[in-house]
Amino acid sequence: MTGSGEQPLPEPGDLPLEAMELSLQQLVLESPDIKAFLTELAVLASKRLSSPGNRIHSGVTVLRQKRPQAVAASDAAAQALDELQNRFGQGPCLTALRQGSTLLVPDLAAEDRWGPYVRTAEQHGVSSILAVPLDLAGDAEAVLNLYSGRSNGFSGEDITTVESFVAQAASSLRLILRISQLKEARNDLTAAMQSRTVIDMAIGAIMAQNRCDRETAFGILTRASSTRNIKLREVAATVITSISGEQRITAHFDD
Amino acid sequence: MNADWTGDPDQLMEADEQRRDVARRFRSTQVPMIKLWTYYYGLGGDADEMSFDAYLNEALHLPASQVALIATAMRELSAGGDQ
Repeated sequence: MTGSGEQPLPEPGDLPLEAMELSLQQLVLESPDIKAFLTELAVLASKRLSSPGNRIHSGVTVLRQKRPQAVAASDAAAQALDELQNRFGQGPCLTALRQGSTLLVPDLAAEDRWGPYVRTAEQHGVSSILAVPLDLAGDAEAVLNLYSGRSNGFSGEDITTVESFVAQAASSLRLILRISQLKEARNDLTAAMQSRTVIDMAIGAIMAQNRCDRETAFGILTRASSTRNIKLREVAATVITSISGEQRITAHFDD
Repeated sequence: MNADWTGDPDQLMEADEQRRDVARRFRSTQVPMIKLWTYYYGLGGDADEMSFDAYLNEALHLPASQVALIATAMRELSAGGDQ
């Protein structure tokens, strides 16, 4: 194809592009491995800090596109408390997440920040909250939230323990994220090789049939794809099937 | 910035505008550059990652045929893009 105006771009408003993003945050939310890891982290934190008469509920919230989502918890109560806070859109855990440092609320009854959330949490039997963010080196944002039914439910020693614990978990998580990302990139490349093989064959076929150059053949194929709103790869597959009857074209490489 | 351009000036303005539009749409997405490039490569795209990156940052022009493939890649990925 020639002339840059030939293929007008759709208006920006036409495209729900937010829907297509695949970020690390999404990986954190959707990978079963990572979810299991975070659940284990919450359970372990809860076990380590709970003592007779002071049961600690623990949950992990991940920030995705600036919106928090509760992804893992030691128990249903913690999950509910995380979700409650995320619904209010404000609270100590979200503040800790945003400022990137540990935040302790020793006594909810004496707390005047995050008004509506704090009152509701109190009604749910929470008296103190400890929030420790996971440093994921900018790849994603997550925070471990701990809830106690007692005021001053967390000692200075508890805080040090959780902080070192969370730092270790964060470095493991960074590795898991890196691996997931590489796996994802590899799968994308495999898909791209398959797709490119089909399209290249179809381009060759169109060149032979129309006695045209590659660019013109691409123009024909992209026009057919956009006017019928069918993926380029599917149009290409149709071209090949119509010539040779072949249904399945695979790329020649092993993974 | 447009030293790579050899066409006539009117077409250059048009290409600039189109590139600005593509770049703006790319910025408004959360799609990593490499993911978009991989998809574009899968469609038969010829530009390497460096040129692709430069185009999306409005620092280089690409042939119209490549621009059309970038537009197609963006359209298909946004339409739910499982390959």
